[in-house]
Amino acid sequence: MVFLKEPMTPPALRATSPLRGEAIRLRHRTRRALLYWCFLAPSLAIFLLYRIIPIVWNLVLSFQYWSPLGEAEPAGFDHYEDLLQDDVFWQALWNTLIVIGSAPIGIVIALALALLVNSDIRGRDVYRTIIFVSYPLMTVAVAIIWRWMFDERVGLINYAARTLDLIDKPIPFLNSFTWALPSVIVANIWQILGFYMIILLTGLQTIPHELHEAAAIDGAGPVHRFWRITLPLLRPSIFLAFVIGMLNSITSFDLVYVMTGGGPGRATEILVTYIYKLGFVQTKFDEAAAVTMVFFVLLIATAWAANRLAGGNVGAMDTE
Amino acid sequence: MIHRYPRSPIHLALILASFVMLVPFYWVLKTSVSGENIYAYPPSIIPRNVNLFYYVDVWYAIPFARYFMNSVAVSVIAVIGNVAFNAMAAYALTHGFRGKSFVVLLFLSCMMVPFQATIIPAYLITGRLGLLDSWLGLALPQCSTIICIFVFKASFDAVPRSLIDAARIDGLSEWRIIWHIMMPLSKSAIATNVILAFIWSWNNFLWPLIMTRSADMQTLPLGLARFLSYQEDTTGALYAFCIMVLAPGLLLFLLAQKEFIRGLTSGATKG
Repeated sequence: MVFLKEPMTPPALRATSPLRGEAIRLRHRTRRALLYWCFLAPSLAIFLLYRIIPIVWNLVLSFQYWSPLGEAEPAGFDHYEDLLQDDVFWQALWNTLIVIGSAPIGIVIALALALLVNSDIRGRDVYRTIIFVSYPLMTVAVAIIWRWMFDERVGLINYAARTLDLIDKPIPFLNSFTWALPSVIVANIWQILGFYMIILLTGLQTIPHELHEAAAIDGAGPVHRFWRITLPLLRPSIFLAFVIGMLNSITSFDLVYVMTGGGPGRATEILVTYIYKLGFVQTKFDEAAAVTMVFFVLLIATAWAANRLAGGNVGAMDTE
Repeated sequence: MIHRYPRSPIHLALILASFVMLVPFYWVLKTSVSGENIYAYPPSIIPRNVNLFYYVDVWYAIPFARYFMNSVAVSVIAVIGNVAFNAMAAYALTHGFRGKSFVVLLFLSCMMVPFQATIIPAYLITGRLGLLDSWLGLALPQCSTIICIFVFKASFDAVPRSLIDAARIDGLSEWRIIWHIMMPLSKSAIATNVILAFIWSWNNFLWPLIMTRSADMQTLPLGLARFLSYQEDTTGALYAFCIMVLAPGLLLFLLAQKEFIRGLTSGATKG
């Protein structure tokens, strides 16, 4: 249809026929549609090249034996079967689930902060800026900052805990099988907290003030109003924060890579670091592709589950 | 009406939160300017013997200028790509045409594919394009972002239809309508695009880690991670480097935080 040509009309008809006007308009519209496709072309090319093709290629690769110098051979489900036997894979999957599971902790803290910042106190913009400031910063640098905070000898956290007599001897947070993953999660929440808060704050500001006033007149206390008005109306924002938090935590490669490198042992290995190591350290691209497919399915499944929990669909947020 | 909570507990809680957010910065800043052994116990709370030797060390220990130039070049390409491509795509999306709903669907499904889930084929594709280890290759995946397209679209939708029709009657081409009518009316959308594209590309770590091979092409985050891996954390220069890398992003954010926050939230709720 895009390449529709001007219909042939007898010369006699050309000057007067309404068909002629119709044809010109059609031609204009066709030409314009073509132009719009040209405008879309660069963006479409980038998304095709770096989103669509990779996902398809990845799927194909996960069913092949392939190395950068060799020929591809069909592998069936071999790579997936290998994964079932692979302890590191299970550890990485489990750690990823723990990191996703930690997102609600950050959201609850952020909700408390959003409610406080939303009250009409002096200096609320300053508080908002300070709480948000860690979000846009380079994660590699944030990881180094937190390595230093968790340092065994002179890290602030150990120092404060020892000074307050909470612990007898310093805890080697990032070298401990128990503490390494929680430490990474703390750094992760610290960085994304401000972003959650901004999303929730935007949601809070859309709740009409009259609702609260009417409820207050009817004798509802602040706690009651929070559970019955604020929280239900905030549901889309909370869902959005969760999806963003999930995407963020699932992908927090930079933090893990710099803070612990996945160690000690495999204590902080997550799926993305494992994909990186399999693919780019051991050059097992085909196996890494299989892990990537599991990672991708996990991502979609979690988003879907969160959507169900929120009791709506993502599209509905557009109209809010 | 409902303003009857006492103020001081709110301030107290928020001051505590601000303290938790700021202390890690302070701790690193303190270390980077201290003249004493950074492993002395107990650590001093206030820097003693303040000096900038570690900052000078960074300058001599690593090719900071080279990393900085790479980071700037990649970010500039990404910013230009975003502003130009996103504006064009968004303008097309403000009109109805055949296949538009397909394009919108495609964009929305692309949003569900995080870059980390595509690294292996993305690396192979970039290799086939012959762009490994180059500025363009580093910037290309980030040269158009869906959130930023929607930021432009929201702004273009607000431009009155009659203005565009008038421009068409005056014989302006669609191309010129974008650059001479839409863009001057969308300053805050441009600002949002510039800031988001800059910050994303400036902070990006995984992609440069995978695709740069020569030391000459490393960007700042990569340089920082490499510095950590050969020096371990034995020197305060690491923390000086950290502060030097954080400063530009922090400065840009403080200057333009309104646009930044608006962009993130509008992108987030639109997308």
